[in-house]
Amino acid sequence: MKELQSERRKALVINYLSFILFLSIFYLVKAGVFPLIYLSTNLLPLSGIVFSFHIAFGKSHLWKLTHSAYKDLDERETELVFKATTISYSIFTIICLVMIYVFNFIGFGPIDVVLAAFLLYLAHSLPAAIIAWNQKVIIETE
Amino acid sequence: MKSRKIFNRIAVLRSERNVSRKELADSIGVNFQTIGYLEREEYNPSLDLAFKLSEYFNLPVEMIFSTQPMKPLSVELKNLKGGNDERIAE
Repeated sequence: MKELQSERRKALVINYLSFILFLSIFYLVKAGVFPLIYLSTNLLPLSGIVFSFHIAFGKSHLWKLTHSAYKDLDERETELVFKATTISYSIFTIICLVMIYVFNFIGFGPIDVVLAAFLLYLAHSLPAAIIAWNQKVIIETE
Repeated sequence: MKSRKIFNRIAVLRSERNVSRKELADSIGVNFQTIGYLEREEYNPSLDLAFKLSEYFNLPVEMIFSTQPMKPLSVELKNLKGGNDERIAE
């Protein structure tokens, strides 16, 4: 079975867009733009996150790969994870900085638990996302 | 630094000996997908892995890996034999 790269890329886009939508609804409710009842619409992006997570990271075993101990990986996998982690570190730093500045700029003050949880998820998922985006074949038959 | 492409005949040797990717991978201690990457020449192995493969196939490293596209093994062996015959004739 060869997994489609385009399918994985779509899942990644859906995953992060769902997260952005989730956060947007949450903060618009928090700011009083939308009434509290609108929080229930967050179920839609939440299900999008879970579903796309399964396709992008679960089915391809990429979550497991990027969260394995180095001693359990072979030399190709170690190199792959190392490169992805290096790139994701740079991306994560920029996103963090932008988030902190945006939060201060719009007057939300320091980042809260919800955004911290998103950033934590981002830190953990970015290396796997970079591999999922770049690798043509992830699962193959013997 | 961008490294050169390393050509190999792992796929030929493996099919010749009727060994699955999984069996070969288990013998040399890598993931079976790494064998796939090596066979498609999308990954250059380390010196250690190259020697492990050479020991597994019981062939010199230069018979398995090359920086030039590889000729069929039969041609290579014929050239090798030809060279030896010339040396014996001398």
